Amino acid sequence: MSNFKIKNRVKDGALRGLIYLCTGLTVGSLLLILGYIFVKGVPGLSVDFFIRDFNDKTAYVTLQETDDLGVQVEARDDGFYITSMEKGSPFASAVNQNGDRQKLTKGDQIVSIGDTKLTAENCGDLNALLPDTGQVQAKVVRVGGGIFPLLVTTLMIIGLSLLIALPIGISAAVYLNEYAKPGKILRSIRFCIEILAGIPSIIYGLFGMLLFVRFMGMGFSVLAGACTVAIILLPTIIRTTEETLKTVPESYREGSLGLGATKIQTIVKIVIPASAPGILTAVILCIGRIIGESAALLFTSGTQARIPGNLLESGASLTVQAYLAAKEKGDLSMACSIGVVVILVVILLNFLSRKVGKLMTKF
Amino acid sequence: MGQQHRNEKIAKIFFLITGLIAVASVLLITFFVFFQGLQPFFPFNKEGRYSFWKFISGLQWKPNDEVAKASYGILYMIVGSLFSTLGAVILAVPIGILTAVYIAELAPRFVVKILQPAVELLSGIPSVLFGVFGLGFIVPIIMKTSPYARGQSLLAVILVLAVMILPIIVSLSVTALQAVPHAYREGSYALGASKIHTIFHLVIPAARSGLLAGIVLGTGRGIGETMAVMMVAGNSGGGIPTSLWQQIRPLTVNIAMEMGYSSGLHQEMLFATAVILFLFIFGINLILTKITAKLGDVDVKF
Repeated sequence: MSNFKIKNRVKDGALRGLIYLCTGLTVGSLLLILGYIFVKGVPGLSVDFFIRDFNDKTAYVTLQETDDLGVQVEARDDGFYITSMEKGSPFASAVNQNGDRQKLTKGDQIVSIGDTKLTAENCGDLNALLPDTGQVQAKVVRVGGGIFPLLVTTLMIIGLSLLIALPIGISAAVYLNEYAKPGKILRSIRFCIEILAGIPSIIYGLFGMLLFVRFMGMGFSVLAGACTVAIILLPTIIRTTEETLKTVPESYREGSLGLGATKIQTIVKIVIPASAPGILTAVILCIGRIIGESAALLFTSGTQARIPGNLLESGASLTVQAYLAAKEKGDLSMACSIGVVVILVVILLNFLSRKVGKLMTKF
Repeated sequence: MGQQHRNEKIAKIFFLITGLIAVASVLLITFFVFFQGLQPFFPFNKEGRYSFWKFISGLQWKPNDEVAKASYGILYMIVGSLFSTLGAVILAVPIGILTAVYIAELAPRFVVKILQPAVELLSGIPSVLFGVFGLGFIVPIIMKTSPYARGQSLLAVILVLAVMILPIIVSLSVTALQAVPHAYREGSYALGASKIHTIFHLVIPAARSGLLAGIVLGTGRGIGETMAVMMVAGNSGGGIPTSLWQQIRPLTVNIAMEMGYSSGLHQEMLFATAVILFLFIFGINLILTKITAKLGDVDVKF
């Protein structure tokens, strides 16, 4: 073999090695991130993690010396939990710090009765802890640390923003593919869709804060967050839907028009149903985008980790709370546990979109 | 018939209006951000006036309720944003393109079936989680070797951003490489060139517009990234970063950090920061449109 050939072989081998190395780095970085989040986050997962409130909730019960408490507690590692509560027990009329009625249930922790903290010795007969005369307060805590309110808020934002963005996005795509003729309007719409897709979410957040939160008076609310996110979703919905509309064969439209249907009938009854898989893909992509969104929601839907009572109340989404937990409270485990949930959802969505993508190749 | 004709007209106008919502959104966003952000630079602003030159060339950010005592300089943030994005691009582009080469040219089918979902997953991970990873994994490692007490630094931002833009570059590059016609490769093989030689001397040059689009898109993502960067940048109050170990404060972070509690001139200056960020993004978008337009030309030729 000539020197030249050997030199080329060595060069090829080195380049090939470099390619393998880079692929390894890409896969490695993914595994590293997943590994970190799962190792740190999985231990925090439990049924309680999904169904509990995020914040601890404290309630107070006023007890008279003559009362029969009518509750049984069970000692666990981290406290004394109510296992049963009789009707007419004073614990049924507990109030929170603001004096509002708060319903207690099984699983709430009784911390203290009067000045006496519950211990392993005295928890058997709680009635014995009542004073001989006068009244005392019992402190009951419903332990938080769960993500239930965050899940609800995230679902609310997903549903609401899709409700706003889907009709607009789909009909915009219909306009672009079925009506628009090449020209200034078409060009400017396309240009603006490109711009929208490139604007960073923090700018959307600022805009949403100015327009929806302040100018339109929605305040920090789920509604303001959903409106902001709806704009973010528009490019995705328009592009994906348009791509599918393009794949609907021209013969479908011609057949429908030939049978005497009008253009609008053709679009509503033939073209849009035929592109349903594409619209479904758009929805899946959007859900992924919403779940990952945080910068735009931080300044629009706010940071309250509780279930929003109505659309004009503030609520933190999963990722917003993951940020707050990590950055403001330094609680990386909580952030990673939320991360595990989010990543599993993303994996599921990716899987679904691939399945739906296969449906689309039917034409 | 007249009724039907009118319905058709109404439908068309309805579809047009929904199409124009995208245009309206862009105009509204631009208007709101610029209107709010440019106010401080005009005389007679009711929250107080601030010199545009001091804003754009200043090296210190120190908000204060008294306008005379405050300083709102963002040059060091612009530099921080550019350095961190540039560093991330330098790291991620070669790695990303070569990964794409492996996926598009070398990998067996079953490996592609694993790698592509993996890349997709990497791009689907929310930015907050990249921040959590950066804060919990990268920052402590940097802290051990850094001459400074904290691990939050330009280097941390570069590493986190690099991982974040990697999947964008990979997936756009794969598309670009796959679009190169097979005839090119066969011609090259017929001339006796090896597979690797063909890839580096023919396929990559032929796909350069597409590769470039990926790089530009990645740059846009890097400049605009907020949450992940906010957690690892350290958010310094001033000074141009002179080493990788120093803390920085990119433009996006400046906005996100203080928007929650700011008011008056301070808040307007945050919007002014957003104006500068907006201009960067707009510039990147223009470049991207140019490249993709060129990409279209190439497609026609094939």
